[in-house]
Amino acid sequence: MSDFDAVVVGAGAGGGAAAAVLCEAGFRVLLLERGDALPAAQIPRDHLRNHRLSLYGNNTGPGGAGHPRVSVDALGRAAVVAPHEAAYHNNAMTLGGGTRVFGMQAWRFDPLDFQMASRYGVPDGSSLADWPIGYPDLAPYYERAEWELGVTGGSEDNPFAGPRASGFPLPPVPASPESGWLGRAARSLGWETVTPPLLVNSAPRQGRPACTGCSECIGFACHVDAKNGAHNTVIPRALATGLCVLATRAQAGAIDCDAQGKVTGVSYFQETGEGVVRKAARARIVIAAAGAIETARLLLLSANKAHPDGLGNHSGHLGRHLQGHTYTGAYGILPPGVGYTGAGPGVNIATTKFNHGNPGVVGGALLANEFVSTPIGFWRSGLPPETPRWGLANKRAMREYFRRGVHIQGPVQEIPNPDSRVELDARIRDRFGLPVARLSGTIHPETLQTAEFIRGKAVEWLRAGGAEKVWSFGNSLGLSAGQHQAGTCRMGAEPAASVTDPWGRVHGHDNLFVADGSLHVTNGGFNPVLTILALAFRAAGFAALSLR
Amino acid sequence: MNPLPLQELEILRSLLDRLVPADEFDGAIQAGVDDYVVRQLGGDLSALRPAVSGGLLALDAEARSRHGRGFTGITDEERTAILADLEAGNPRAAWENSARDFLNLMISLAAEGFYADPGNSGNRNRASWKMLGYDPRVGDP
Repeated sequence: MSDFDAVVVGAGAGGGAAAAVLCEAGFRVLLLERGDALPAAQIPRDHLRNHRLSLYGNNTGPGGAGHPRVSVDALGRAAVVAPHEAAYHNNAMTLGGGTRVFGMQAWRFDPLDFQMASRYGVPDGSSLADWPIGYPDLAPYYERAEWELGVTGGSEDNPFAGPRASGFPLPPVPASPESGWLGRAARSLGWETVTPPLLVNSAPRQGRPACTGCSECIGFACHVDAKNGAHNTVIPRALATGLCVLATRAQAGAIDCDAQGKVTGVSYFQETGEGVVRKAARARIVIAAAGAIETARLLLLSANKAHPDGLGNHSGHLGRHLQGHTYTGAYGILPPGVGYTGAGPGVNIATTKFNHGNPGVVGGALLANEFVSTPIGFWRSGLPPETPRWGLANKRAMREYFRRGVHIQGPVQEIPNPDSRVELDARIRDRFGLPVARLSGTIHPETLQTAEFIRGKAVEWLRAGGAEKVWSFGNSLGLSAGQHQAGTCRMGAEPAASVTDPWGRVHGHDNLFVADGSLHVTNGGFNPVLTILALAFRAAGFAALSLR
Repeated sequence: MNPLPLQELEILRSLLDRLVPADEFDGAIQAGVDDYVVRQLGGDLSALRPAVSGGLLALDAEARSRHGRGFTGITDEERTAILADLEAGNPRAAWENSARDFLNLMISLAAEGFYADPGNSGNRNRASWKMLGYDPRVGDP
């Protein structure tokens, strides 16, 4: 007899959606989350320790000591890194995961994003591949995510997007003077623009208030709970059924699996008032949704005699093809008189004209204006590069430019490669004695070509508007994962070339599923959260059928 | 607990005053940036405390070698000129560690203390935020 119908590991976007689907279908779920269920008041509004700028720490975990990772740089040098360091590639580890503190951009991938290899060919050294499913397979689940969590968007659609059955459930947040200026600049270039879809209440909905337009948005928990994340939509729905047991501060140690490949439950460590307690839950199915780094780590940690290289690693793809987004763009100073409100979220205008069809490069990126900035964030990255770095000249430049800074940027679709990967470190262990994730590899050089092209377009946009100053920086080869981490359990029709089947079920394990960004064969030129949610709704619906 | 002896604290204050000077708006000293730096040296940056102490004393020696008085005893213009020389990589006194690295660290700390939220011990009375016209508008933290 099983304790639960399903154990879901990870209470972020994917795990939260999966738990809601299963519980609402009448199944008993144990939802494991390694972080705490932090109320907003316990997520500090610290401008030096948040998920946008984590100079000395994070505001959402993992907290305390004993959660290191090992990072191997482009020259092969390994270093032990802490969660707030860039090389850790952290995503918020708390109930709701990244959606607790995210920037809320809720894009659907374009139809071409699922067919990258067919459209562009496979660059040397890359593992570029088509998804085993297409945009039409995901469209209904994108719609579920948009309506069930709540997405704001414009009445006009992204002109390059796939067909949609319905509009957005919420109107856009108010436009800013900056976005008006950028819109005029885009029109002068003949570029189509679109209002970025955002997972935020622009009006009261589902018993929670509207966004107040405050100036501490991305990287922080919403002070009125208007960000629509897993923690205030799908997870409460799962709990409301009475069928979901939520265990926080619970670190999965292994998915238990018999010699035939049938998984039987999850062994985990729970931190309690009396110290760490080892527990095991038996279940009919297991869904791994811990993010692309930790899901891969968990499947690797689950190795046993019959599966010595980990679960789903029959063809050596587990943990490989790690990717995120290489960000590029341009900075500028708006002409005097455009106006500044400081209102968040701040992302008000985008173009998707350069996601595909760019001469000589593979893929592309959306370009959008940046979120509202904190003063210290602006001091670090928003000042013109010739500005003196100290003294009265620096102080005067802050006064002159803080309310006139403009930053256009976008997530470049990365060309995956198998050497960018997650492994288990042979030496370093976490506070529970488990080998930690070892991250290595770099982005593919082709990604840099695409980034250079997109950077040029960002510069062109700001120049067309008559910005007073325009500047930008190139990118270099390094590992990419971070908050948009993806790809380590790629889905595919062929077991020899993938970790899961086209539904997210791990090859060779009929009752083990993945429901997070790990599944992404490629990661689009868009923020990935809506795709993660859509895939989780789809995978969990399929998993529920197997429980009947 | 103050991780810096009084002599070093006074050099630190003279340095911060030049990194973010007062003008018609408050500067580093009025905004309590020294409190921020002291707190960091007793916390997140405790490993850097010896290097910071060494840098402050070297800065004092730099002033003595040029003017016969310590860094706290020279004019604002003389202090600014020394910092410009250090930034350009032209120290005159003997520095055990890189003078430029020390200056870069102190520039970053001064900005963090001046522009970050007051909960970090600097930016007293939201001095920099008022100067910039920035308000988080999330109610009182």
